[in-house]
Amino acid sequence: MGKSSKDKRDLYYRKAKEQGYRARSAFKLLQLNEQFHFLDDPNLKRVVDLCAAPGSWSQVLSRKLFDEGAGGDSEGRKIVAVDLQPMSPISHVTTLQADITHPKTLARILKLFGNEKADFVCSDGAPDVTGLHDLDEYVQQQLIMSALQLTACILKKGGIFVAKIFRGRDIDMLYSQLGHLFDKIVCAKPRSSRGTSLEAFIVCLGYNPPSNWTPKLDVNTSVDEFFQGCSLNRLCISDKLSHWDEEERNIAEFMACGSLESFDSDATYHDLPSSIASNPSSLDPVQSPTNPPYKKAMELKRSGKLTRSV
Amino acid sequence: MKNVSHYGPALCVKFHNDYVLAGYGPFIHVYDYHSGTLINKCRLFHCNKVHGISVSTEGEVLTYGARSVSVVKLEHVLKKDSLVHSERMNSDWVTFGEFSFDRSQIYLLTCYNKVLICDFDCEVLSSKSLGGERSILYSGIIKVFGPDKVYINAGTVMGGVIVWDLFSETQIHNLLGHEGSIFYVNLSNNGRFLASCSDDRSIRLWDLHTGKELSVGWSHTARIWNLKFFDNDTTLISVSEDSTCRIWNIVESREKIAELFISNVYEVHLTKSIWGVDVKEDDMIAVTSGNDGRLKLIDLLQLERNGDEETSFTLDDISQQCDIVFEQNESVKGFQGFSFGVVVITSSGKILQFSDVTKQWKLLLIDEKFVSYPITNGIQTQNIVVFSNSKSDIRMVKFSEKGSDIIQTEEFHVDELSKMNNCLVTEYSDNSFLLTLQSPNPRDKFLCLEISSQDLKIKAKHSFDKPENFASSCLASFQNYILVGSRFSTVVIYNLLDDNEEPFIIRRLSPGDTTTSIKFVENKNGSAVFSVTNRDGYYVFIEVRKSHSENLHCHLSYKVLHSNKMMKGYLEGAFFNPDGEYITYGFKSSLFYLYNETNCYELASEVCGGAHRLWKLCAVNNGHLLMYVKASRFHLRKIYNSIVPETLEKGIHGREIRDISICPSASDNTNNNFKNGHIFCTASEDTTLKLGYFSNKTGEVKNFWTQRKHVSGLQRCQFINNKLMISSSAREELFLWELNDKYNKRPYITIRQILPTSTNNPDLRIMDFDVKFVHQSNDFILATVYSDSTIKIWHYKENENKFELVMQGRYKTCCLFNIAFIALKDQLLVVVSPTNGYLVVYNVTEFIPFTIDATSSDLVDTRLGTAISNLPAPVSQLQVHQSGIKSLDYVVDSTRTSAAILTGGDDNGLGLSSLVLDNTNTAVLKISDFITAAASSTITSGMLINGGEEAITTSVDQVIRTWKITAGKLSLAERERTTVADTGSLDVITNHGDTDFDKTILIGGVGLSIWKE
Repeated sequence: MGKSSKDKRDLYYRKAKEQGYRARSAFKLLQLNEQFHFLDDPNLKRVVDLCAAPGSWSQVLSRKLFDEGAGGDSEGRKIVAVDLQPMSPISHVTTLQADITHPKTLARILKLFGNEKADFVCSDGAPDVTGLHDLDEYVQQQLIMSALQLTACILKKGGIFVAKIFRGRDIDMLYSQLGHLFDKIVCAKPRSSRGTSLEAFIVCLGYNPPSNWTPKLDVNTSVDEFFQGCSLNRLCISDKLSHWDEEERNIAEFMACGSLESFDSDATYHDLPSSIASNPSSLDPVQSPTNPPYKKAMELKRSGKLTRSV
Repeated sequence: MKNVSHYGPALCVKFHNDYVLAGYGPFIHVYDYHSGTLINKCRLFHCNKVHGISVSTEGEVLTYGARSVSVVKLEHVLKKDSLVHSERMNSDWVTFGEFSFDRSQIYLLTCYNKVLICDFDCEVLSSKSLGGERSILYSGIIKVFGPDKVYINAGTVMGGVIVWDLFSETQIHNLLGHEGSIFYVNLSNNGRFLASCSDDRSIRLWDLHTGKELSVGWSHTARIWNLKFFDNDTTLISVSEDSTCRIWNIVESREKIAELFISNVYEVHLTKSIWGVDVKEDDMIAVTSGNDGRLKLIDLLQLERNGDEETSFTLDDISQQCDIVFEQNESVKGFQGFSFGVVVITSSGKILQFSDVTKQWKLLLIDEKFVSYPITNGIQTQNIVVFSNSKSDIRMVKFSEKGSDIIQTEEFHVDELSKMNNCLVTEYSDNSFLLTLQSPNPRDKFLCLEISSQDLKIKAKHSFDKPENFASSCLASFQNYILVGSRFSTVVIYNLLDDNEEPFIIRRLSPGDTTTSIKFVENKNGSAVFSVTNRDGYYVFIEVRKSHSENLHCHLSYKVLHSNKMMKGYLEGAFFNPDGEYITYGFKSSLFYLYNETNCYELASEVCGGAHRLWKLCAVNNGHLLMYVKASRFHLRKIYNSIVPETLEKGIHGREIRDISICPSASDNTNNNFKNGHIFCTASEDTTLKLGYFSNKTGEVKNFWTQRKHVSGLQRCQFINNKLMISSSAREELFLWELNDKYNKRPYITIRQILPTSTNNPDLRIMDFDVKFVHQSNDFILATVYSDSTIKIWHYKENENKFELVMQGRYKTCCLFNIAFIALKDQLLVVVSPTNGYLVVYNVTEFIPFTIDATSSDLVDTRLGTAISNLPAPVSQLQVHQSGIKSLDYVVDSTRTSAAILTGGDDNGLGLSSLVLDNTNTAVLKISDFITAAASSTITSGMLINGGEEAITTSVDQVIRTWKITAGKLSLAERERTTVADTGSLDVITNHGDTDFDKTILIGGVGLSIWKE
């Protein structure tokens, strides 16, 4: 399939290329912002983008906080993007190639913020999907909890946390857990996220941890140990595995984001709508595709070396 | 609600003595693998899935999955329904569990590379870890070598395999080489090797002492999920997302220490993912468990269990063995297999026999008439071999029962034919068989000789006219008819009672190559069913009917009952095995394959060089014999019937079921075979439709067919009456299928018509459709909605078998998920649901070529013109949901003035709306009730039942909910968990005469569950 056919099939992909975003997921954050306006706050100073590579959310943050000025003063604004993978530079964004679970990473961010806390933390990270739905959902929730550990140490009271979720069997457990740390939890679905996908975003408003709890990152403590003392845990660490018990579950409010006039990611478009048809020739992807781990296997398959000779 | 049966992924599988234990959702199933019987289904967990099982020699069973762990006795697993009281919960995901060396404790490896040492009550005695950096594990195993030597092997998400000693809590190796997440690790029993696999699709073999990478194995075409050493650590078995199981030899050498060589590939599961594997080493039987729910037993000694599976000879070998002198350039030109062995003819006319008992060759006779281009055939049951040549000579030889003697031989010349280019044989009666002889000369007749099986004399001779372009390729007899397959996908039927009767010609049964086999299948009430295979990969079942006209002249007519295409390659033939499963064979590039088409798995394969070889497949006593010539060697490959059941569970789709439809029973259903349950079909993401049958009582599902006509993942399937079914998918594919369930052995299904398409856009999906029949007619109108916002209405005329476009237009640009025809009074309304959460109503009454009866709301055909009209403007629009409406169902009230519409959304909401036709015939939509958090994730399907007094919904949170509806208000009645992930489809049928339950509910997603209410 040629370049232009993918453009037609996916208008957000096309639009991302047009506007110089590294991935179509940029529009997910933009549409979340259309609903919540968290990036339009003139007092927004320090933001952290976790699991940031290839960097489309950082690009949105950069444009919102600096280029568009967010109706306020760019003075004192700082964006830090963290990922284990390397990222090409983005203006106004400090990128750290680091592990979000490590205390050193926390220290580096705090140093960059001059020991002031962040106003906004987001994560668009997703793990490898295996097809085992329970495992995939669990790993995604663990990724969120890892992001949340760092967030708990760095987010100011009243701050906002946004992360990608998969809405599966146990998503209501996550809503319930996050409810212990934030004033309001919303499950938001931007129109640029396909309706047929389980993907959605959790928007946690008003960071409000228990007053008697001091979060502390330590590589030797588990996620459960970390959140001891803020009654978020399913379990207490004991010397006995507990009996089965129905976990606390809570269904968060749902909110569709992005105007109904925005492109529908489930729709088939035959012709490019006039709003993005200004440049008729196909554009090259802004960020060339990364090297997948199975690149060599693909090459062997292409050259006929994986055919059944036995 | 009560769950009566479940089919879905089996995540793990384990041999223990004569048992196979497999994890199905929260259950362990136990089978006797020799007999294939299911011994028990025992529930271990409340809702978590069983991911791993370990059984101790003392008969303790350790089960783990997600955060759940349980230690129970095997004797209880064998007998009890439920052991959920033993379930214990850990705070983290348990990746692996194992018994200690003395089996007094258990070790649990968590996904954060920590090991809990517990007693059997799951009391934590101590906890071990490496400390330092921690990252989540996708895989890890615990290998117990001795009381003090336990190795933890953890596969990280960063491409490393960390090997550490449990008791000293020290790292032994961090093996680096893979790219991407490590999906499985295993150790050899002798402690020499470690094998790992990752997202990079390779298997790596490591020296456990030095940590050196010894070998990289490439062969799988997708991710590998499980690995195991067996056969004294000389062999490795792997299972993968590519649905294959592969065998690797570990070849040790001085230079390289050890290397991996791929030695076998088994294509035994459906797309996609085999999760579990185990090997019973003393029997050399493997078992694999897949996302398709199949448990497949594989004989690892398929090529050596009997010792004579593979033999091959050059003429030199034969010459040395039995003192025959062959000419230079002499070669094998024909062969026929019998239960006693093989009869071969060479290019010099030497007729040789190979005994299967003595494994010796002997020369039977030399017939120089057959020096070139001999054609060899045989009647296996009568031990008769038939040779023919281009000069119209025939020689037949009949052997004694054990093949040791020639008891009859006969030869003659066929004077009627100037030349002869084909000779076919088939059994005919108890004491005779048929030969058909064909000449390349179009003016020559087509001859059919009836030959006595006793004395090989000609009993009767028929000569028939040949149709144009006729080239006989296969032959079958039925009653007094012969059916002759030909090139160009043609079958010609001749009446042996009347040589002058016009042949009955069936052309173009498939796109068109040579017909490769014709087999009688079954008959009923004067109709007979035949299976016809074609080299182009299609198989077709035809019904041939004999009817008598007024002058007592006999007419034949035919109808295609079933048509399907093999995945790839050439189809050379097919037959039914004793279990009634359809077995096909043919070639895929250089590979010969034997395939169970009913259940979709390969039975055997042989690298023989491809279809252009001289080859033949014969049924023998306990299996099949494949004979072929490759590189001047004559090969005999015996494919024995499996010594163990081929499967313990046959399984279902390997990917998500997107839609389910139960076939409504006809009121005049006279077929007793299908009266205690229902025929149903499932439409899957794997691009196939399956036609199956479930028992009302047990919920047991039997699959008949897997239709491959769609080329992309299915959106919908729906029986529109008891004979017709419609399915839709991307590429604007919408097929009208016709079901035939009147025969005893199985139902058949074939495409009756294909909906015309408008573009070549591969992404354009037909998201949904609805049908309304014309009153007292089999004609109907069809409404289709597309992913580009198009709405179309079609008129299907049964007589013409044609879809005519009646109306078309677009809503906006957004995708439309659902459509329904709702007829109120004398108005026909169309309700669609776009991705924006609206319900949009169109009144199409004036735009269709029918009138609507004011009292019954039936469509009445008034033969109005059929100009294509444009979609009118909507008459009503109402936003019910915030985003896409995933399910839509409705019930019309008895006065036919209003309808209740149930909608389930991506916004977790469940809506109940009313559509009312007011006095001016204006359609008015109103929301009666809306439950905002009706589920914790997307509601994917919902149905109104009991005339709209109740509703059932399924959602991605894996909960089935039933709702009561009173005065337009919804209230939750019942909620039950299902283990079916990505729950996405639902159908309900009311059973008549069933006392316990009156409804059967089918739930589809990743798997299929049957419930009763």
